[in-house]
Amino acid sequence: MHGFFDAISRFIRKPAEGKDDSSERFLARCDNFRLLLAANNKALETMAEMTEESQSDLLFGMSHVRAQSLKVAAGVRQMIERLCRMNPGKYDALKDTFNQIVMKMEKAADDREESRRGPLVLAMENIRADMISETGSKMALLGELSGELGIRVPQGFSITASAFRLLMESSGLEDEINRLIQITDSKELEELYSLEASITRAIDLAIMPSDLQLAIEEASRRLSDGRKNIRLAIRSSALGEDSSEASFAGQFLSVLGVVPGDIMESYRRVVASMYSATAMTYRLSRGLREDGVVMCVGCVEMIDAAAGGVIYTRDPIGKYDNSIIVSAVPGLPSTIVDGSSHADSWVLDRESLLISKAMIVDKKWRHRVSFNGGINREMLHGDRRSLPSIPDEVVEELAGIAMRIERHFNLPQDIEWAQTHDGKIYILQSRPLSVREEQTQSEQLPEKDKDAPFAILTDCNPSSPGIASGPVSVVETDDDMLRFPEGAVLLTRNARPRLSALLPKAAALIAEHGNATGHLANIAREFGIPAFIGAPDAVERLSKFGVVTVNSRTGKVYLGRRVDQLAESDKLHISPQDNEVIQALRRMLPFIIPLSLTDPESPDFSPENCSSLHDITRFCHEKAVAEMFRGGGMPGSNARRLVDKRPLQYWLVDLGGGTSVSDEDEYVDLNDVVSNAMKALWTGMTAVSWEGPPAVNTGGFMSIVSEAAQNPSLAAGMANEMADRNYFIVGKNYCNLQSRFGFHFCTVEGFAGDDQERNYTFFQFKGGAADMNRRTIRSRLIADALERQGFIAEVRDDALFARIEGVSKGAVERALAVAGYLLVHTRQIDMVMADENACRKYKDKFDADIKAILSQMPNGNGCSSDRS
Amino acid sequence: MKRIRLLMVDDESDFLMVYSRRFARRNVDVTVRCNGKEAIEAVKDNEFDVVVLDIMMPGLNGIETLREIKGIEPDLPVVILTGHANSEALIQGMGWGAFDYMLKPVGTDELYFKIIDAIKSRKFESA
Repeated sequence: MHGFFDAISRFIRKPAEGKDDSSERFLARCDNFRLLLAANNKALETMAEMTEESQSDLLFGMSHVRAQSLKVAAGVRQMIERLCRMNPGKYDALKDTFNQIVMKMEKAADDREESRRGPLVLAMENIRADMISETGSKMALLGELSGELGIRVPQGFSITASAFRLLMESSGLEDEINRLIQITDSKELEELYSLEASITRAIDLAIMPSDLQLAIEEASRRLSDGRKNIRLAIRSSALGEDSSEASFAGQFLSVLGVVPGDIMESYRRVVASMYSATAMTYRLSRGLREDGVVMCVGCVEMIDAAAGGVIYTRDPIGKYDNSIIVSAVPGLPSTIVDGSSHADSWVLDRESLLISKAMIVDKKWRHRVSFNGGINREMLHGDRRSLPSIPDEVVEELAGIAMRIERHFNLPQDIEWAQTHDGKIYILQSRPLSVREEQTQSEQLPEKDKDAPFAILTDCNPSSPGIASGPVSVVETDDDMLRFPEGAVLLTRNARPRLSALLPKAAALIAEHGNATGHLANIAREFGIPAFIGAPDAVERLSKFGVVTVNSRTGKVYLGRRVDQLAESDKLHISPQDNEVIQALRRMLPFIIPLSLTDPESPDFSPENCSSLHDITRFCHEKAVAEMFRGGGMPGSNARRLVDKRPLQYWLVDLGGGTSVSDEDEYVDLNDVVSNAMKALWTGMTAVSWEGPPAVNTGGFMSIVSEAAQNPSLAAGMANEMADRNYFIVGKNYCNLQSRFGFHFCTVEGFAGDDQERNYTFFQFKGGAADMNRRTIRSRLIADALERQGFIAEVRDDALFARIEGVSKGAVERALAVAGYLLVHTRQIDMVMADENACRKYKDKFDADIKAILSQMPNGNGCSSDRS
Repeated sequence: MKRIRLLMVDDESDFLMVYSRRFARRNVDVTVRCNGKEAIEAVKDNEFDVVVLDIMMPGLNGIETLREIKGIEPDLPVVILTGHANSEALIQGMGWGAFDYMLKPVGTDELYFKIIDAIKSRKFESA
């Protein structure tokens, strides 16, 4: 686009004779027109991207959606500005229309419930399940268990959603966090880690509102009630966390063993964990919005546990039908949930609550509350390692409590519990359990495992079902995480929750330590990735192999890719097609994309009738062309009709040096054009005569009819658009052609001067009369033809953008000839694009014709370089 | 070639540093200011061809700064560059006469050509 400027500047430096104010005004108009076209291109390009994103399974967050919509809006606003400057006062109504559309778009993005300001802190005894929007589900459900079922839960209080909003708004944190996310706009783990660090810093530095500080201190005083030894668990209880759609299992922080004086610091840390790289990856891969996330925090008294564990009221992987699974470790249950230790487990019948199977394992460690703050890890010795963590009666009592909870909520539950040294059982957490529906037949192993000779690891207990294959990649350090390749089998020692950031790109998961009731197993099930957790020596035994196949049904890992097994694979695909972010995008698109304003001759073609940003671009473009070429006797402003023996449907505006005759005449003969760029373009357009529209098969014709029927103004506009004028804007080395042939819109622009650095050709193409599929195929066909000539081309839906830059004068001329040829010869062929033979025929014809045209030009074939 | 006098206003010093270094290699002299108040002082005391202005800054925000600058020098083109996609800022900023509204992250070339466009546009407008 800079060529246009050059042409204009040259025009200024060597003014045409009779230069006066009106010529300056014309130049200003030219400049506004050029800026308007550039903004138009940019807006259309971003619109095409957004359309594609709304239909793709690409992953992106809400900040990306907002940035894209604002890019379109900024481009459109720029077009309005430029049009208003071309004719001051005439188009001001557009600004109001624009503001209204943008505000509607904004409202559509934020189609969420208005939140009211509630209490900043709520004590456990006052919390019930219906307060979930203030306390988050974790604390709401605990309050419900205690208040409605009389089940023992730790004492504590919730720092509410209102408290969080107060912090975010009063300190400007929310804006700062959104800004940091937007400028990062990345899915790369490494960049997400640095984003995590910036956000954590911002949260650390934010000033705590004094109301909030006081409320928390007061609640903490009431909870401690003078007890010096009290230690707290500060747990995330985010809105949406633990819902049945998304578990966020283990992604947010819980700070254990906190002394009351450190609550504020821990609160900040828990809030910050919402923006950890792990949590951001999870949200991104599940299509959950990152804006407006709300972290409620639970502060509960820590139980000095003799034992603790997890209960599933159903087997999440369907291995044991109609069963409850109880697991337990000595000390705090945190070694189970963070995957650092093996756990004893029991299977019980859901009806009788009797134990049907007990698996007692060797337990190396236990966690205990340290009264200096924090958690101590102690090594276990002797009998304590091998004896059951709890006696059978306690197992059965736990199962009984669990069933009561399940009945109350009417959903399978995942429950964390602890037992004190004096035998009291506390429920620490309860949340819905995601259970795979199928797979109850998993006990029916294939009659004969014909791949048995290839098995390199056997007898693994599946923690998440599925069959998958990929190269083995050992992950032990953060560096390993950054290097983890897409589609690999994740092999690790400890099933740490942090690894969940890798699960969206992992084929399977194998961990030596941890168990099926840990967080990582939960996430693996959510992503439908087969997982073996608790596979002794797996790292040593598998890391020397390349590709392996992991099969949860046989409980084995096989060497190589076992194709037959994979064919049976029933990997659950999480479709990001319908998630919060996509939903928000789809609500916004109606204010951006639909084009209802197509017929410039219609009385409805007015600012008031623009109902989308696309409509405004169409309106501005049309009016700008009209403004650009309105007469009035200004030098250079007269668009002269092009003549080649007879008058053509083309008009020409000379910016200076493009023609050899004065611009007073109404016509300009082709022979008087001296612009090398236009001559090259014209050569391409006319070297081969157009064979006319293709014979249309019924399908193609029906496609046009139905498109026109759905869009009546398209049909009504047909006659006008077909008859539209096409304009060449030329300078000595410059040419810009804005054209509409039938239903397709095309811009070709080129600058072919002596300074290679500034030379370029630009080709933009969009539209057609056939359905989107055929139009897209046509754009792809043209893009391929351009790419074979050295263009860099991009197709989004039916929009094509192609360019060549920084090449010699001759190369630009050849590129313009190619563009000119394609511009003319791809007219209406979208109608036959469903026909493969027709596509092949066109491809061959294009290549042959282009070769013939280029052979007539200096320096032969290809556009990207000169032959030496 | 005549050098371009650019005033860049942003509260992020890293951002200012990176861009002044990149632009210095082209024909641009960059003056940096890290808040609205200083920016207004700079416009009063010096002559610039173009301003690149962040919209979210502590103290005087970008829109107020833009209004003040336009009050002092109505013709001075101001390009808004923000890390915070906000339609209200777009509507207000363009309403108060900003040349354009851009979102971070932005490429050096893209920003460079934008300031060229802004300067050129001023030349035509005042012609």
